[in-house]
Amino acid sequence: MDVALQILFSGLTLGAVYAVSTIGLALIYGALNMLNMAQGGLLALGGYMAMWAMQAMGFPAPLAALTAMAAGAVAGGLIFLLAARPMLGGEGFETRIFIATIGIGLMLESLILKAFGPQPQAQSLRLDGGLMFGRVNLPWQNLLIFVTAILMLAGVALLLGRSRLGRAIRATSMNREAAQLMGVPIRRIYLTILMLSGALAALSGIMISSMSGLLPNMGADPMLKAFIICVVAGLGNVPGAALVAFAIGMLEALIQYLFGVQYAFAILLCLVIAVLIWRPQGIFGQKEVVRL
Amino acid sequence: MSLLELSGLRAGYGAQDVIRGISLSVAEGEFAALVGPNGHGKTTVLRAISGLLRARGGQILLAGQPLTRLRPDRIVAAGVVHVPQGDLLFPGMSVLDNLRMGACLPAAAAEEKRRLEEVFTLLPKLRDRQGQLASTLSGGERRMVGIGRGLMTGGRILMLDEPSLGLAPIVIDQIYDLVQQLAKSGRTILVVEENAVRIADMADRMYLLDNGEIAWAGTGAGFLSSPEIFATYLGG
Repeated sequence: MDVALQILFSGLTLGAVYAVSTIGLALIYGALNMLNMAQGGLLALGGYMAMWAMQAMGFPAPLAALTAMAAGAVAGGLIFLLAARPMLGGEGFETRIFIATIGIGLMLESLILKAFGPQPQAQSLRLDGGLMFGRVNLPWQNLLIFVTAILMLAGVALLLGRSRLGRAIRATSMNREAAQLMGVPIRRIYLTILMLSGALAALSGIMISSMSGLLPNMGADPMLKAFIICVVAGLGNVPGAALVAFAIGMLEALIQYLFGVQYAFAILLCLVIAVLIWRPQGIFGQKEVVRL
Repeated sequence: MSLLELSGLRAGYGAQDVIRGISLSVAEGEFAALVGPNGHGKTTVLRAISGLLRARGGQILLAGQPLTRLRPDRIVAAGVVHVPQGDLLFPGMSVLDNLRMGACLPAAAAEEKRRLEEVFTLLPKLRDRQGQLASTLSGGERRMVGIGRGLMTGGRILMLDEPSLGLAPIVIDQIYDLVQQLAKSGRTILVVEENAVRIADMADRMYLLDNGEIAWAGTGAGFLSSPEIFATYLGG
């Protein structure tokens, strides 16, 4: 029972972190057909900005988190304005933006390295202590991560499902040309999506660094997992990505317990390959997707 | 006075001009039709007017205001409503949300409730189907949603691209009854249609497009009574 609880808590925390970093990627791919390879850099930026805001500026934790998310949003916006926008509509957009965002991600990491150094650092924005469930300890930090992620996912779901902006985002993802004919300013929508995704990546970076510390390249592994989750869910499928993120978090926690941490990623990848052989379009993806 | 006026419009894809310097006009409250064989540039004309395709030359004026360099969303805001070929609905949205998307401009949003009621009165079937996903509708229903969504946008001119395309004859009749009803209510309409005979008796003004150029212009009645047009373009 204790073991099951421990796996459940770890899995939900991992899933929450993955979900927050993945939905931004799914939104971007759904609307722009763009794989944002700078996501790892944005995660690191969020983590470091939160630490900087608390240590150097003396901000309280909530304000530090907001500062980091604002930095992520600005970085996301700049990625759109300086890289994606000039390439949009041109031939080979998907390949060109893929390569460009790899470069931007590396540049972000280098800037962080220059500003904060290569040594691992502890995230200042974290809670100590925990709650005991029998003999199982649930750290406050994990609970905070889970609750924040759920609130954030609910916020994104409300935005997409209930607001005019959300409807315009969904419409742009479903049919870009039709959205334009309804008067949707699609470039402004793209900018909004990149900014939202940047803010979510920054938040995810805070969550990850609060568990495993800060390093300039800390975003690489979570970004890879976020892409895997996107592909397994079906590229561009936002609710599917959130569900798969929690499923993969639980699975990873289970594999870590059964086989050890060192095998978790390899076994996870084998399972993902099996899923993609079974459903190449992803679990929630559609077989034929016509993009206009 | 003309509401929509094209002069010397050129547009195309790649190196090729599909539209080669056409001029036409649609007056306020008029029902105009642009007809011609398949692949001769009818859809390209509408795409150029609504800004989905950048014009390469010439001018497009709406009530004297140039549209040529505007983005599609600005052109919609200026008053051009384009119901595209094949409907281009949002498949993952309900009928109601598709219709609401038509009212996403701030000016239209303020009128959303009233316009929705108007659309439901005009197309009662959509009221029953409002919760249904657009991807599950029949061809005729999809066309109705496409037109209804265009009506939600408001606008000063309604452009319909081949509203009868791919529909059964009985559904085509329903769609054209609706178009005629809209025309009678005083709306300015520009319809692109391959089936010239179907539209000629309704149209105030007709333009025949041949190889990207206007080959003939006149009234609908004039079109029907011109044996040379039938012989040359319609194989009569």
